[in-house]
Amino acid sequence: MIYYKIGIDVGGTNTDAVLVTNDNVIISKTKQSTTADVSSGIQNALKEVLRLHPIDLSKIKYIMLGTTHCTNAMVERRDLNKVGALRLALPAAKAIPTMIDFPEDLKKLLGSHFYMVHGGFEYDGRVLHPLLENEIKGYLEKMKGEIDSLAITGIFSKINNEQELQVAHWAKEVLGDKIKISCSHLVGGLGLLERENAAIINAALKNVADKMVMAFQETVGKMGINAQLFIGQNDGTLMSLNKAKDFPVLTISSGPTNSIRGAGALSKVENGIVIDVGGTTSDGGMLVNYFPRESTQPAQIGGVLTNFRMPDVVSVGIGGGTIVRFNHNQCILGPDSVGYRLLEKGMAFGGDTLTLSDIMLSNGEFNIKNAIRQKELRQKIEDHTQIDCNTVVEKVKDQIRLKIEDLVDKLKTEAKPLPVIACGGGAFLLPKNINGASEVLFPDNREVANAFGASIAQISEESEIVINTIQKDEKVEMEVLISNAREKLFKNGADGKTIEVIIKETIPLAYLPGAVKLKVKLCGLLN
Amino acid sequence: MKTITLDDLDYIAMGSTVLGTGGGGDPYIGKLMTREAIKQKGEVVLLDVDDLDDNAFIVSIAAFGAPMILLEKLFSGDEFTKAFDMMESYHGKKINAIIPAEAGGLNGVIPIGVAAYKGVPLVNGDGMGRAFPRLEMVTFTLHGISASPITQADEKGNTVIYNTIDNVWGESLLGSTTIQMGGSSAIGAFPMSGKQVKQAAVKNIVTFAYEIGKSIIDAKINKANPLERLLQTTKGTKLFQGKISNITIASDGRWNKGVCEILGLNEYKYSEMVLNFQNEFLMAKRDGKPVAITPDLIVLLDAENARPITAETMQYGTRVFVIGIPCDPQWRTPEGIILGGPTKFGYIESFMPLEELN
Repeated sequence: MIYYKIGIDVGGTNTDAVLVTNDNVIISKTKQSTTADVSSGIQNALKEVLRLHPIDLSKIKYIMLGTTHCTNAMVERRDLNKVGALRLALPAAKAIPTMIDFPEDLKKLLGSHFYMVHGGFEYDGRVLHPLLENEIKGYLEKMKGEIDSLAITGIFSKINNEQELQVAHWAKEVLGDKIKISCSHLVGGLGLLERENAAIINAALKNVADKMVMAFQETVGKMGINAQLFIGQNDGTLMSLNKAKDFPVLTISSGPTNSIRGAGALSKVENGIVIDVGGTTSDGGMLVNYFPRESTQPAQIGGVLTNFRMPDVVSVGIGGGTIVRFNHNQCILGPDSVGYRLLEKGMAFGGDTLTLSDIMLSNGEFNIKNAIRQKELRQKIEDHTQIDCNTVVEKVKDQIRLKIEDLVDKLKTEAKPLPVIACGGGAFLLPKNINGASEVLFPDNREVANAFGASIAQISEESEIVINTIQKDEKVEMEVLISNAREKLFKNGADGKTIEVIIKETIPLAYLPGAVKLKVKLCGLLN
Repeated sequence: MKTITLDDLDYIAMGSTVLGTGGGGDPYIGKLMTREAIKQKGEVVLLDVDDLDDNAFIVSIAAFGAPMILLEKLFSGDEFTKAFDMMESYHGKKINAIIPAEAGGLNGVIPIGVAAYKGVPLVNGDGMGRAFPRLEMVTFTLHGISASPITQADEKGNTVIYNTIDNVWGESLLGSTTIQMGGSSAIGAFPMSGKQVKQAAVKNIVTFAYEIGKSIIDAKINKANPLERLLQTTKGTKLFQGKISNITIASDGRWNKGVCEILGLNEYKYSEMVLNFQNEFLMAKRDGKPVAITPDLIVLLDAENARPITAETMQYGTRVFVIGIPCDPQWRTPEGIILGGPTKFGYIESFMPLEELN
């Protein structure tokens, strides 16, 4: 049966959308400006992409959105909830208080109701300390009326979630059913501080999440579309709206992943390097089996250390608005840029700032509406630099090549040449030959690779536990872990035939005989 | 440095990670604990080894167990103060100062926090000058100093006192109790006189860690090259530059054993380096030939900023430097080479000093 999907990606400057058929053919696309309230930009993009290619709205089956609502809220410290936090850890963990490494301004915003209580498990599943109902309810009473949202983090809750669930239950008893709860075992991985931080941020974003979901639903509903809606996660997979309301922290930084995956799919390359050229930077990522390689550095969200793995992105100051300067015949690119003010400041548009876009326009490498004539532009450039235009262009291109080759080299792990895929609005800046690249590809629709990436995203399920191999069989436990994840995926709407194991890791724990960490991640296409 | 202040901690923690030679656990958690301890109880006096009274009573305090467990089951603080208190009550006298057993990794920072909690000075020295995986692998052993009586405590309040026939037994028995305690514990060990410390300790190690950390962290402010600064400070040797191309890990009972392969870049372009590790990096071979061997220190650094990378957090594709730092001369004695050299870890190669291999 033929159906349509719409992928929407909100970026720092632009909100892009694509209208795609069920076999992933793009039939219309648009770039709109990102608006301050974010939702208006999404609405504009949605309307435009359907205006360009009108279809029977009832045939739109899925709409996937990658958005910055939560990232912005964290960075701008806006609309955050008052949060309560309970750490189930005593008698352990006393030496390191909750939110010890939070930026002060953020900590103040969240309130002061964070308490450590008895609880937690050992690495092998034994109880570290049983929960003390009175102790916990005592603190919950203190929080009454003063918090919107509660984060619950227990030691080794990833191995046994019973205590966190019990405390959540008591919280509803004392604080009422409306209280929003973030259980850490559902939000983050192993590592108490980072997981606790993630749970607290998640709790702080609950209001933002509700607004984000409601705005999305209203926008789509107002247009008379009755599709299944999804929001993108930081690993490039999709969440249902209900899940997005419960786990807003997971929506942060879905953008780079969408670009990388989108570029891979547009060029049909499974392993390669994707370079997304924007207004200010070129962001490079490594595509491995159609997914971006993860960074080794734990993600900092709004200045807070968490244990989310973000895509490994290396950036360089090469963008459409990058300012070009000459210091005695030495060409210097940026790193500053006029960004989205290109159309006002760039020489090709009547301004007096020499940008990379101006250079390429002067050489006839591409065209933009409203640009002044090539001859006029070349004269302006010569007057500005006191160097003849052909030489200017050559020097600039050399600099671009050097920087991009360095970027490519930073990402590669072996000497073998790899395909490089150019995407983003500024892709025209990239050289057609790059040292270290087997080929440089400029796929059609590359300027909306991010929105396309959102439209082809899969749903995923990730799970990890620590087991003691003296007591449990590693192979058996791994199979159980995989099978449980597969079940969950299926329940969430994945097509059983497409479910694949993306990550399957066994990591021995140093200094502890027999203990290993098992980690799995499965993905599947939506039905 | 006469006292250790809050501002010194970042430098010492960075230096401890370098001295950790890929193992020893991430000092971050130790740094957080120590920061809180100093905030609450005040700065820690740092005593040079030569300034100790011959009759002073000095004890090592350390964390024992799996660093990954510590990332989940954070310290309570009590486990360390208990291990300290038990040592005092067992001996019927006050401890005059704490000495780190192991300057590399987590145990380079934790004793500072414990010293703050207990209001005692820290000795500017340790038993290794680096990290090693086993209790007996300290310079104290080379001088016939017993680790016993060893006190051990966990966050739940369980305590143990061991009297073992030798330091190897100390490691084994502590290991057993630690597992039952949940994978981590605090220990007090190597009760010594000031005189013994003067004979056996690796001197000035805390200030060394501080200087190492400073050379890396402050390089940016001073517009200097962090690698060059680091090599100057440590009198180290650059062994390799490249990109991590392969990592194989296998657990062998207690340890993370493995191999890291690095493909060369720049002047090492057509070469390959192989690092062998068992928690710590123990052998570095360039194109099949050893260029650094334990007990000399082998450090893996991020090429971007010269920050040390542990064996647990290595990732494919990272651009790195590998440097060698000469170990304390005590390790290069025949006894030292037996205790901390390649044979101890099951390698067939013989020890040769860094300066001779390069």
